[in-house]
Amino acid sequence: MALLRASGRHADRDFNLDAVIRGDPGSDVPHGGALLAFADAVLGRDDAALGLARDAVRLAVGDAGLSDAAAVIGGFDGITRIADATGIPMEPDKVVLTADFFGALDIGRFRREKA
Amino acid sequence: MRATLAAAETEAWRRLGLPGTWWTASERLAIACESRAAADCAFCAERAAALSPLSVTGQHTIAQKSVPAHAIEAIHRIRTDPGRLGETWFLQLRAAGLGEEAYVELVSVVAVTVAVDTFRRGAGLPLLPLPQAAPGGPTRQRPHGARPGPGWVAMLAPEDRTDADPDLYQEHPGPRRRYGANIHRALSLVPDSMNPLVGFAGGTVSVQRSDA
Repeated sequence: MALLRASGRHADRDFNLDAVIRGDPGSDVPHGGALLAFADAVLGRDDAALGLARDAVRLAVGDAGLSDAAAVIGGFDGITRIADATGIPMEPDKVVLTADFFGALDIGRFRREKA
Repeated sequence: MRATLAAAETEAWRRLGLPGTWWTASERLAIACESRAAADCAFCAERAAALSPLSVTGQHTIAQKSVPAHAIEAIHRIRTDPGRLGETWFLQLRAAGLGEEAYVELVSVVAVTVAVDTFRRGAGLPLLPLPQAAPGGPTRQRPHGARPGPGWVAMLAPEDRTDADPDLYQEHPGPRRRYGANIHRALSLVPDSMNPLVGFAGGTVSVQRSDA
């Protein structure tokens, strides 16, 4: 989420992070709806749904964009496992930087549900 | 596929088949193979669906009989239910005989396998066959400056690095010097385990930058 917000600021845009959390296309991320559905499908087990989602992303951003989107999903699918499996905490400065949306979006619920 | 992404994937995959620091090449490939098989483990599926993973007992469906039992449990949980791992679980693996350094390298192998497989599934590409195992034994070199924390495993912080330790926080190529965020330190107990995923994930981060 912090990276997404930073990307938005880099592009002089203010993405609706709440929409990302809720999984609806109102995030203002270009092609956000197609990308959200694609991410869900890649991490799911329904091959037919993945095929449809992939076609939608390809139609929206082309083959190169599809490849890049898949790489982002793959990279984060791997790197979050590193974080989870080594027990690293969030750095204090990042706690401060993310405190606003951490509370507003109730991201703490993921930790509660994990427990 | 962009050339930098293809190169990162090729390099990450090639290194899976090389001897590691605490596992041989054959052992690393068995870990990778087992992590793929874990996705279809019925016990893992039942446990992942349970309110608490501790409430379910059973046996993993094992693809690689050569992998030690404590490593099987680590591979399967990291692959199928990573969000609910805890330090108690990690300490149980350690008590069962899984070395801290071997665990870190195992995490790296699973993460690289997951990252590449997920990427290819998304892109509509076939899964890569695992590479051939290169001969040779593990080097068993632990960074001299590694210290406990801030996670469950020891890590090599930039300020603790000795002259005998590799510089893990200088990007190559490029002038950028990382300050040592925890995600970059996470695998630093086994420096050679850091590079493949950093390379692959680095490709994805540059995607984000170019899209921004």
